[in-house]
Amino acid sequence: MRAAAWAVGVLAALGWPLVAPRYFVFLATLVAVNAVVAIGLNLLSGYTNQLSFGHAGFLAIGAYTAAILTLHAPALPVPLTLLAAGLLTALVGLALGIPCLRLDGLYLAMATLAFGFVVVEAITNLDPLTHGNDGLRVPLARLGPWLLDTDRARYYLAFAVAAAMILAALNLAATRTGRAFLAIRGSEIAAQASGINAAAFKTVAFVLSAFYTGVAGGLFAFVVGFLSPDAFDVFLSVDFLVMIILGGLGSVWGSVAGAAVVTVLNDALAGFQTYRPLIFGAIMIACMLFAPGGLAAMTRRQS
Amino acid sequence: MSGPALIHVVVSGLATGCIYALVALSLVIVYNATRTVNFSQGEMLMVSAFTAWSAQHAGLPLPLALVAGVAAGGLLALLIERAIIRRAVAATHWDVLIITLGLSLVLRAAAGLVWTNEELPFPALFSNRPIAVGPVRLAPVSLGVIAASLILMAALVALFRATRFGRAMRAVAQNQTAARLMGIGVERVYSAAWVLAALVGGIAGVLIAPLTFLSTKMGLVAINGFTAAVLGGFGSLPGAVVGGMLLGVIENLAPLYLPTGIRYSVPFLVMIAILVARPRGLFGRVERRKV
Repeated sequence: MRAAAWAVGVLAALGWPLVAPRYFVFLATLVAVNAVVAIGLNLLSGYTNQLSFGHAGFLAIGAYTAAILTLHAPALPVPLTLLAAGLLTALVGLALGIPCLRLDGLYLAMATLAFGFVVVEAITNLDPLTHGNDGLRVPLARLGPWLLDTDRARYYLAFAVAAAMILAALNLAATRTGRAFLAIRGSEIAAQASGINAAAFKTVAFVLSAFYTGVAGGLFAFVVGFLSPDAFDVFLSVDFLVMIILGGLGSVWGSVAGAAVVTVLNDALAGFQTYRPLIFGAIMIACMLFAPGGLAAMTRRQS
Repeated sequence: MSGPALIHVVVSGLATGCIYALVALSLVIVYNATRTVNFSQGEMLMVSAFTAWSAQHAGLPLPLALVAGVAAGGLLALLIERAIIRRAVAATHWDVLIITLGLSLVLRAAAGLVWTNEELPFPALFSNRPIAVGPVRLAPVSLGVIAASLILMAALVALFRATRFGRAMRAVAQNQTAARLMGIGVERVYSAAWVLAALVGGIAGVLIAPLTFLSTKMGLVAINGFTAAVLGGFGSLPGAVVGGMLLGVIENLAPLYLPTGIRYSVPFLVMIAILVARPRGLFGRVERRKV
């Protein structure tokens, strides 16, 4: 039964670009990208109870790394570019995570908020590298002899990466590290008393989260094709938070579902920009008051 | 830079700093009573400023319009606390934090729909034209903002030290269980803290609106308020005041000595620096928690 569900899901995802109109292929690609960010954010927020307002900053670092790398080394195969984007972002996450280790929830939230603003300012001012506010045109991704120049090709790239990242996250919950995350989420003090080095695992969560978001940033660069610093403001970070709150804190599939709903809603509300925050804010409040576990908890209750 | 010019920069920095201090105070008042941060504090003060603007356009004299705006902020806080926050009272602090984050989005969008998403000029109580005080030229608006803030801070000190209500708030901040056992209505203190914070924030809102324009984005001043509060040590009222003033002066002096590129990042760099070097801020105390 479970295997059948998996098979149907994978087949539907593989077949989507063959049947759907071009725009919806693009939209599905964005869902995949955002799902990777949401899983990354959930590794941090959901498993270790730390709030981040800075994930748009991580996404920006990944996106600009991939774009600049491709500009200077066009022959580099895209998996390597994405890996580099993820690793560099993880490194920045480590640099930010180590001093933030000593901070508890509220202070960490503030530090990440500040981090997000500083990243946007840095990108704006590093114009020799990033072209600042003029924006940066991202070259096409390349995979050996193939140039990923269609929406369909980019969809399969994003789908493959997202699938790998989802599998990794699902398996993480079954490892020692994943269990340590869950223990910290239950009670940091109790986890420490059981011999879990909470500070170290929180840094691991932070770095992993940054890695996921950096890879997603690289994908984002290729999918959107044009980067400018104002796209990565704090409101994007809030969108990511809405995804995991709606999807369910600590749930991988919830993150995917939340990313899908928010991405599609974002697109549907494109003509009603003024109502968008109203609806997203209401979703956050309603989830916390009436459905604290988000979509993930709802399906669990029914089964 | 010459001495008198430097004094001018520092004084206008102190004026901005006073506003940051008031925002920081409003955040800390809620935090001390309820142990959660109200992420929508900035949007609540934005509503106060917009209401004052509407009241003035409806024909009220400016001082009355400002009072009406601040009062409307207090009323809004009472409604939100009673209708939404209290329902989540069994929830963790984390949940309340996310609710207030959602509220900030809702309030900003709602203000855009009710009023406008454009920037509006806001009538000023104090003139912007500098007057000469000896060799130094000072803007009356800076002096007015500083004076108004200092009066409000003195009133807050009196409230916390000399009234029954203030003592109840301090008791709840120290130990909720003990306060409850002493017969203090802790829930009423929660509501009162929300209203008091909205009033203080609302005053900051009507003071800053003439300086920055009235817009739905003005709630972002809460970020500077957070920085100020963190600088002073989150939870400390004198810390919030000192932190606010310090941040205002640093922010005004920084462009004189730093390249323009990093000018807008100054509050955030200050925040990161203070969190790295001294996470508990200047006046914060280490909190001990029991399992």
